[in-house]
Amino acid sequence: MDKFLLKLILAFVQRFVRNGIDFDQLKIITETKILMDRRRVHVNYNKQKNKDPKNPLLITLIFYCIFGFFFAIMIFTLKSIQLSMIFFHAYLLVMMAMTLITDFSSVLLDTTDNQIILPRPVNSRTIFVARMIHILVYLLQFTIALSILPLIAVFVTYGIAAGLAAIVTSLLMVAISVFITYLLYILILKFSNEQKVKDIIGYFQILMTITFTIGFQILPRLIDFDQIDQSFSLSWYSYFLPPVWMALTVEAFKEFLFDPLHVGMIAAAITLPILTFWFMIKYLAPSFSRKLAAMQNSDGVAKKKTTDKKESRIFSERLSSLFCKKEIEKAGFEMVWKITGRDKGFKMQFYPGFAYIFVFIFIFVFKSGKNLGGIMEDLPNSNGYLWLIYLPMLTVSGSITLVAFYEQFQAGWIYYSTPIKYPGQIISGAIKSLFLKFFVPIYTILFIAAYIVWGNKIINDFVFGFFANAMLFMLTAIFGEQSMPFSRQFNIKMQAGKFVKFILQLVIVAVIVAMHYFALKINWLIWLLILPAMVATYFMIKKIKSYRWRDITI
Amino acid sequence: MNIIQIHDLCKNFGDNQVLKGINLTVETGQIVGYIGPNGAGKSTTIKILTGITSDFEGEVWVLGMNVRENPIEIKQRIGYIPEQAALYDVLTPIEYLRFVGKLYQLSDANILTKSTELLRLFELSNKSDLRMNGFSKGMKQKVLLISGLIHNPDIIFLDEPLSGLDANAVILVKEILSQLKKAGKTIFYSSHIMDVVEKISDRIIIIDKGRVIANGSFEELKQNASQGSLENIFTSLTGGSEQHQETAKEFIDILNSGQHG
Repeated sequence: MDKFLLKLILAFVQRFVRNGIDFDQLKIITETKILMDRRRVHVNYNKQKNKDPKNPLLITLIFYCIFGFFFAIMIFTLKSIQLSMIFFHAYLLVMMAMTLITDFSSVLLDTTDNQIILPRPVNSRTIFVARMIHILVYLLQFTIALSILPLIAVFVTYGIAAGLAAIVTSLLMVAISVFITYLLYILILKFSNEQKVKDIIGYFQILMTITFTIGFQILPRLIDFDQIDQSFSLSWYSYFLPPVWMALTVEAFKEFLFDPLHVGMIAAAITLPILTFWFMIKYLAPSFSRKLAAMQNSDGVAKKKTTDKKESRIFSERLSSLFCKKEIEKAGFEMVWKITGRDKGFKMQFYPGFAYIFVFIFIFVFKSGKNLGGIMEDLPNSNGYLWLIYLPMLTVSGSITLVAFYEQFQAGWIYYSTPIKYPGQIISGAIKSLFLKFFVPIYTILFIAAYIVWGNKIINDFVFGFFANAMLFMLTAIFGEQSMPFSRQFNIKMQAGKFVKFILQLVIVAVIVAMHYFALKINWLIWLLILPAMVATYFMIKKIKSYRWRDITI
Repeated sequence: MNIIQIHDLCKNFGDNQVLKGINLTVETGQIVGYIGPNGAGKSTTIKILTGITSDFEGEVWVLGMNVRENPIEIKQRIGYIPEQAALYDVLTPIEYLRFVGKLYQLSDANILTKSTELLRLFELSNKSDLRMNGFSKGMKQKVLLISGLIHNPDIIFLDEPLSGLDANAVILVKEILSQLKKAGKTIFYSSHIMDVVEKISDRIIIIDKGRVIANGSFEELKQNASQGSLENIFTSLTGGSEQHQETAKEFIDILNSGQHG
């Protein structure tokens, strides 16, 4: 599939884009990248059979198909073609931008090929387009998965002409989402200093994730679908929104309606993605590559005295003595504490996830359609705080998988050359470190917030919740692949499943919230459950500590 | 006493047989130079001796213990410094050495004293609190050297320890190796830099295509091969200088042939 899509994109680029791009170089770069994605394996220090990880890309594609299924139903049920097509295209835009930002940011801003490609006579536009095509190959697979069922629905409901138009508009929509994301990154890179770029991008990812998630999750809740379907009309400003251009284009082909409005919309739908693309290649691509090169160079400059870091060093060392018994476990605890705070790769992939916590709190806690004042008044009588207890784990548990990966994963040789009998001790140190560093602070903040709103009655829930979360965290660690911290190679395909995993975890959290909710009916039960949760956590840590080399994926 | 014993050691990577029956012994307190062309099997031998690779045929004893059965006990008493300067470079040297020291289960005070002092010797004191991602290859190599020695091992395995070091550091490392020998340590040293191997080794083992092709002191090798320097002995045993001249000439011819087309 990926090879076929690559050929398709390359054929398109060869035909339509000649602006300063060396096509032969472009072809070999992109083909090699796809080949590398397929072949990427872990270094094998010890001859052990690598358990073949399930293909996260395939799982993601299946889930995107399921999302698409719901939109197909919507297209069948909504009477207005304009409305259903606006929703469909907006959904494509949001899903693609989300996938791009959460799963592929690190690829977009990857600096590792600088060393290999920059010394060769390849111009910056070619590098830029190669990078874009590399991502497009994956995005197109997502697009197909997401839109195949809705598109069938369009063919069935509105006929062949509308269906064909919808295929084109879906692709244009994906192009727009890529360009918008890219454009924003380029602008950030253009107007900021290299040293700060990495941090800014991290914060920016969080901001983007919040914006898109709010757009996707919260706005539809504020819309009354029945009413809107009957009395739907477009306001003047909606003609500036890409999903509206696409929707009206599809409508034009369904009704064969080519009045000035529809023709204008068709023109906007086609020309804007092309214009953006041209503008990026012509003006922004060269500086983008330059800035990325500079980013990598600045990696090599450690001018800043890390006296401030000394404090955090001492802090993590104190904590490790408090929470770990063995020296080896302390080593795992401390190095994970330190590296997670400094490694750009980890930070860029992990921190944006925190946005979800707040977005989902908004969705679940403030779910009624009333005005904010009314919600706040009702809040103390609700059980909304249960979500506050369990939502942080959604994001925090992601750190367990991420902590195995590192750009210079070769540094992991140290584990194999030192006398470690139970590598599980390093892992248990790492897990404790992640829990204390990322879960405890946010849980404390949420506890304080909940205490202000709900008062004393939530204390037992939060105490039990703490151990239930610890249990969940350990469970995630036990059921995942066991890897030594920062010892595995980053792989674009591994990145692909993140969003879907997140949705799956959301379901698990919902189940636990429901169980906790039913337990609330018997007041003393929560207190009683604290002890088993503590004991279970203890034994799970013990299990992790006992892992030997044969249990570790290398 | 033989501190390392290798008997009929073979190792395959798929169909590729890298080691084809290596037999050798190393006595306590010796510096052994282990040399060979690229792909001869040097690093593979070292990985087996250090317990990093456990999948091989034959028998290997280090410090009187079987490598297959006692890898942890052996690792506790040996030091390994790999060729590639791969370390967690977002950490500072002090932090990295603390991490490694803890993997050897050393006490906090011991790690701190040793790492501070050793970094001072390598003139890295003023950089001990800087992250290593700004370090040159040579500076990282120095930190790696310290990390392999911090637990005071009985045998030290070095895989190209001088790569990336500046001239002063090379002299210092050579001196350190001599001092370690005087202190009774055994050093198993793999390198491409012939003149250093020639000067510091008590014994030189040359390996080619997975087999030991020469084994003895420099003087013994010189007598057998009747050649001047170790480099000459090496080339005559592993391929010959005439062949290198031929290859170099052909190389230039091929480069020139594409010039006009």
